[in-house]
Amino acid sequence: MSDTAVIHEHGHVPQPVQHGKPGGILRHTSIVTGLVSGVVLAVIAYLVGGMLMPQGTLDADGIQVGINAQIAATYIAWVVGFMAGIGAFAGPIRWAMGHDLTHDDAEYMAGKGQGKWRYWKYTTDHKVVGFQYLVISMVLLGLGGFLAMLVRTELGATWTEVFDPNFYNSIIGTHGIVMIIAMIIVVTGPLGNFVVPIMIGARDMAFPRLNALSFWLLFAAVPPLVTNLMLGGMRDGWTVYQPLGAQAPVGMIGYQITIITFAFSTGIASVNLITTIVTMRARGMTWNRVPIFVIGIIASSIMGLVWFPMFQYSQVFALSDRVIATSFYIPQMGGSVWLYENLFWLLGHPEVYVIVVPGTAALMELMVVFLRKPLFSYKVAVAGFAGIVGISSVVWVHHMYMTGWAPAAGYPFMLSTELISIPFGFLVMVMLGTIWRGKVWTRLPMMAVFAVLWNKVIGGITGVYLSDVPVDQYMHGSMFVVAHFHFMLMGAGLFAAMGAISYWFPKMTGRMLDERIGSIGFWTAFAGFQLTFGSMFVAGLQGMPRRVLQFDDAFNVSNWLSTIGAYTIGIGMLVFLYAIVTSWRSSVLAAANPWGAKTLEWQTETPVPLENFPVLPVVTSDPYGYGVPDPYDEIEEQLTDEDATVGAR
Amino acid sequence: MSTVDDRPVAEADEPEEPTNRPEASYRLREWLSRPYVRHILIIAAVITLLVVPAAWLVIFFMNMTGAPASSIMSEIEKTMFVFTIVSAPLMAITLAILAYSLLGWGRVSGDEPPMQESPAIRSNPIAITLWIGTTSVLAAFLVVWGVTELATITAYSYGSTPANQQPNATKRIDINVTGQQWLWTFAYPDQNDITAPVLVVPIDTPLYFNVTSLDVVHNFWVVELGIKIDANPGAITNTGVTPNKLGTFNIRCAELCGLHHAYMQTQINVVTQEEFDSWVREMGGSKTV
Ligand SMILES: [Cu+2]
Repeated sequence: MSDTAVIHEHGHVPQPVQHGKPGGILRHTSIVTGLVSGVVLAVIAYLVGGMLMPQGTLDADGIQVGINAQIAATYIAWVVGFMAGIGAFAGPIRWAMGHDLTHDDAEYMAGKGQGKWRYWKYTTDHKVVGFQYLVISMVLLGLGGFLAMLVRTELGATWTEVFDPNFYNSIIGTHGIVMIIAMIIVVTGPLGNFVVPIMIGARDMAFPRLNALSFWLLFAAVPPLVTNLMLGGMRDGWTVYQPLGAQAPVGMIGYQITIITFAFSTGIASVNLITTIVTMRARGMTWNRVPIFVIGIIASSIMGLVWFPMFQYSQVFALSDRVIATSFYIPQMGGSVWLYENLFWLLGHPEVYVIVVPGTAALMELMVVFLRKPLFSYKVAVAGFAGIVGISSVVWVHHMYMTGWAPAAGYPFMLSTELISIPFGFLVMVMLGTIWRGKVWTRLPMMAVFAVLWNKVIGGITGVYLSDVPVDQYMHGSMFVVAHFHFMLMGAGLFAAMGAISYWFPKMTGRMLDERIGSIGFWTAFAGFQLTFGSMFVAGLQGMPRRVLQFDDAFNVSNWLSTIGAYTIGIGMLVFLYAIVTSWRSSVLAAANPWGAKTLEWQTETPVPLENFPVLPVVTSDPYGYGVPDPYDEIEEQLTDEDATVGAR
Repeated sequence: MSTVDDRPVAEADEPEEPTNRPEASYRLREWLSRPYVRHILIIAAVITLLVVPAAWLVIFFMNMTGAPASSIMSEIEKTMFVFTIVSAPLMAITLAILAYSLLGWGRVSGDEPPMQESPAIRSNPIAITLWIGTTSVLAAFLVVWGVTELATITAYSYGSTPANQQPNATKRIDINVTGQQWLWTFAYPDQNDITAPVLVVPIDTPLYFNVTSLDVVHNFWVVELGIKIDANPGAITNTGVTPNKLGTFNIRCAELCGLHHAYMQTQINVVTQEEFDSWVREMGGSKTV
């Protein structure tokens, strides 16, 4: 060995030296310092930007062109300032100073000894991050749902314009992107972070500090999105097609900064989940013993990791068109609107599966428990997820059938889009096969399986119509499309998430969910959902375009029904939220394994201790060893024995 | 799972295949004689029968404002109908199993995990093969049908069937469609370049549209005639149709284009050849004088 490295005898490895108290600067940082630092830096950027930006050049609407750069700088300063203030850069700085992280530092960062305050800090414990994701996804769902109520109010009041059209266009866009973000995180965030590491028998995520980074980046991305409504709004739907997006006021920059930041957050979270699942499974947990929920999370993470950068680039280019006068999307200057559409949908379609896959996998995981039956054909389920990951990368042009970009591309992309129904069908078959001949324990999480499968049937069949180019020629851009993707994203995504959260609720919070109230909320929302989007299909069939606030009288009845349904969903969701909040605050504690489940997270105690297990478990079988021998097989066995007297055995 | 259950997986995962099982036909009859199988098949059959009127209902809604007014729209409606019928059996089986699960195989409630376990069915090669086979055949059918129909409507629009071979194609009419925030303009280059905010076209005459936009992306949707194409700035896209029904139909913008997107709609009047000629004279006359 050279003199720069030494081989130590086992057990004598010198530990890093503790500099100061454990945690160092992170002892003083929290969401408060983050907010202060973010706002201060944003104000400074705004003021300095106002002095530096060239003034005098006006755009077509008489707005100073320089203000775009000023607002962009302000938003970027907010994100950087917030992350700095909460302590996200402490790790790299510590390295630069030559200080290694000690075990005490790591424990402090994981939240040891900080009580409830750890939920407001840059905490690395995956269970804390899971809770943070749970709360922020509920906040985002509430915000998106509130905006949906405004949209339906406008559309239900067929006799008048309730909102200014610009504001209406802003709320449909904000509703869309808020819900997309909320749905991307609602299962993978809380359950992927809280449950997956325990489920695979690990002590934490592979990269605990990246875990905190991904959550707080998401947190930092939210204010730009919300404040867009105060800066004129993103008036162009969640897709923000260019060059329309370039006409929007500076609120659009909020959307762009949000997407760019959120894409970092998603990429980091995906890398972390994939690495954790690949490298940190308990001894004995071979790939054919991995719980199916974990497979769903890794499938979803792969799609997010590969395709989110496309969405990010699409917005980086749009921002640079706006701020530094490039012309990626300006046809008059050699740009292309189709470039934007391609980049956008390269993520835009896989994102649907990023949303639907974890929820579906969660339902598969929980239904075996309530049916007391093994998962039917684990291998086909894995093949279904793998097929979706593969094919989802080559279907994006079905969003562009009617753009005129490449009419002949309709043929191959119709083929790929219809092929993806085959792996999707695998998943349905696995769920039906698991239900087959099972005695249902009718608890709320299990009932969500029935609700979701119903929605998937409707969403799947209407999706078959839309995958077909000739039919899409009628349906594209109509309310039919809106109803279809709500059946997939909300019907199959959100209702699955509600089932999954009620299933893992006892492990996360240590309390049982009040299922009486929860079920009332769930089924009220479900009934309202059918009414809302069932009648929206009719409006689409009749030829009602989407994203309008006034329309022909022919569409009145279906819109009234949709609005009544939407309010019903709203009431149902509030009741469900009430059940969550009151149950969470209840004093009655839940058992460690109230469902009698066999996956690892139910084998450790509740509340789950720091580092999850006193002794790491060793896995000897897959977690689906439920059930008794099939009585019909025994009959058949007897018959076979009788035959055997004749045949040669 | 580590401590709770240590039965080997392989045994349950791959049931051993007895070499002398009863004959296939016997096993099929035995399977069909099970009460739950018969009940599910009956429920599925009933649901399938209910889907047929639903397929008619879909077409009924599409026709409420006068569609189909072209053979393209007729093809679209035919495709909708066929797809609904084709997916009905799979949909019916799925819903039948869900229904029977709640009604027939029994339910348990209560706070404690049920003591009684269900049959440990981990796999069933026949069922898996059947399901994958059926869905693959269905998907293949959808692809073949879709490709054929796409070729057909492309031919009806502008594609492989030359304009002069299209029905009654002696006089194809070119129309330049321009979208801008928030109105449509239609120019007839072959009719003395007249322009109008409303489309007036003769019945049974092939129309050929050159579509573009002056500002942002719009979408030119002639609802009852079943054609739709984006109007892009800096590019010309094409579509075409031969109207086969007299009347007034809707043209709507189907791509969000800003403030008054909802009001960016106009009409297409499909008239007789004589009415069209007199309209052209009227428009052209007023323009040239
Ligand atoms: Cu328009």
